[in-house]
Amino acid sequence: MTEAVLQLRNVTKSIGGRKIVDNLSFDIPAGEVFGFLGPNGAGKTTTIRMIVGLISMSKGEALIKGVSVREHFELAMTHVGAIVENPEMYKFLTGYQNLAHFARRHKGVTKERINEVVKLLGLQNRIHEKVKRYSLGMRQRLGVAQAILHRPSLLILDEPTNGLDPAGIRELRDYLRKLTREEGISVIVSSHLLSEMELMCDRVAIIQAGKLIDIRSLQEARDSIQSKIVIEVGDLLAAQQLLASIFDVSRVEVNGNLLELAADKAAIPDIARLLVSSDIDVLGIHAVQKSLEEQFLEITGGEMVV
Amino acid sequence: MSSLSNLIRNENMKIYRRPRTWLMIAFLILAIGLMSGIMKWDASQNANQDWQNNLTERNTHMQQELQNNKELSEGDETYLTNEIKLNEYYLEQNINPNQLSLWSYVNTSTSLIMLATILTVIIAADMIAAEFTWGTIKLLLVGPASRTKILLSKYIATLGFALLLLIVTFATAYAAGGILEGFDGTSQSRITITEAGVIQESSYFVNSLEKYGFSVVSMLMYVTMAFMISSAFRSSSMAIAFSLLFMLVGNVLSAFLSGYSWVKYLLFSNIDLTQYLSGSTPLRPEMTLTFSIMMLFAYYVVFQFVAWLLFTKRDVAA
Repeated sequence: MTEAVLQLRNVTKSIGGRKIVDNLSFDIPAGEVFGFLGPNGAGKTTTIRMIVGLISMSKGEALIKGVSVREHFELAMTHVGAIVENPEMYKFLTGYQNLAHFARRHKGVTKERINEVVKLLGLQNRIHEKVKRYSLGMRQRLGVAQAILHRPSLLILDEPTNGLDPAGIRELRDYLRKLTREEGISVIVSSHLLSEMELMCDRVAIIQAGKLIDIRSLQEARDSIQSKIVIEVGDLLAAQQLLASIFDVSRVEVNGNLLELAADKAAIPDIARLLVSSDIDVLGIHAVQKSLEEQFLEITGGEMVV
Repeated sequence: MSSLSNLIRNENMKIYRRPRTWLMIAFLILAIGLMSGIMKWDASQNANQDWQNNLTERNTHMQQELQNNKELSEGDETYLTNEIKLNEYYLEQNINPNQLSLWSYVNTSTSLIMLATILTVIIAADMIAAEFTWGTIKLLLVGPASRTKILLSKYIATLGFALLLLIVTFATAYAAGGILEGFDGTSQSRITITEAGVIQESSYFVNSLEKYGFSVVSMLMYVTMAFMISSAFRSSSMAIAFSLLFMLVGNVLSAFLSGYSWVKYLLFSNIDLTQYLSGSTPLRPEMTLTFSIMMLFAYYVVFQFVAWLLFTKRDVAA
């Protein structure tokens, strides 16, 4: 079994008696993109900043590759690359000088490695220009470059897509996928945008008011997406009896003058034939999918995630 | 883990890659150049005077004072006797004491160390606060270097800048003196008279270093104070403004309040150690050199500790 790259153990932050983050514990295995989802003010940023030591923990521990951030900060940080919000760079330096600045903090980041990363992110044409002339998208790419120079095992991104246009978000997403696939880096990313997380992450943790509500695998969530078939018929009662006798009773529901059946789209032709052959008039029939967003809204108790 | 020397290189890069830094250095060089030019111009205004006659006249005058004035203290008496002796020596050796030499420029440049201090205070006050203003503090701290190490690297880089400005001040004054009066003045010795009336020759270079040394003490204190203020504020303009305010108002305040005995515990009352040199009087009669050195040391420790505490223990949330 591979050891988890990041382990949180009862991480708590209280300020003035109020718990901003309350007893958070979870593990992130190697190569996983882990999302941190929650409404604004839920404690996402605070948690991420505690992991990287920007904010002190009131209680608990974060272990990066088994090394405690609290006790051996320097050693733990050798495994971490981070982008905290919009990566602010030194604007009076060139892109290359900025990278050299961050490279110098780590052992063994060679000039070749810097050039390799520059090429990887497609910055080679303008790397010797001052950062103040970069667009936001380029700064973001430089931020990613800075974070992966030293080949970290864990990449931490705090609201990385703030202020990025859709193309920029897409680019970042593709790039993160590539990193996890090719270099086995684990990524932890926080966002309040569900649609982004859906596309980026393998698993998401949902936190609300500092507490962990749920951790789910997005693959599972996608598989368990319940689609239902909504049927409008002439004789509601007869149709209900008929379908209940064939499908499970619990899967058939009457909703107003519509009949809802928990089943996949593929069942529509069979159902239509069945109803017609039983002399029930079919006025309409279509499939409806329950979106991830609906599922999450259910989990967070209806509070808006966005 | 980051090595300290690499972190210092990073800080140096952030100081010297900014055009502002080079404007400061250019400004300092310009100021010293201007000072040298004014000295030369002033000397040329008085050039036609006969210095030998002047010295003889002054000696006769002092001689009369010694004979006629019965109220002279013992100290004044030795002072006058020694002055006369020194002037006679000048006449004998045919040395014009008012003649500008290379070292006159270097000596006068010590008064411009105040300017170098102000410039270094600006850099020091900017050192930490600017990272917050730029938003780069997060990336700076999220790395394999402890906050203590980062703080230390920033402090060392600041001291490096102070040292650079001192060298620039000295070198510019030396060069200006050399150009205006000739570099052969370098080997000239300094003629002084001891209290016992013995005429001595000493090195001008050593004398200049001594003068610089006193200024370095106050520079170190002001810069360390500014560094602490930088650690306290998250806006560089606020940090610079407060540092300069304390520095410029502090001295005036100390002098203004010198009637109260508690003034001796203020930083600004102790920062100028030249007040204990012979010929000067300290701010308060009970103050001694040892007292001031101890006070400065205590302030230094407090500044460092507060800077460290503020930098390492605070959460970076914004």
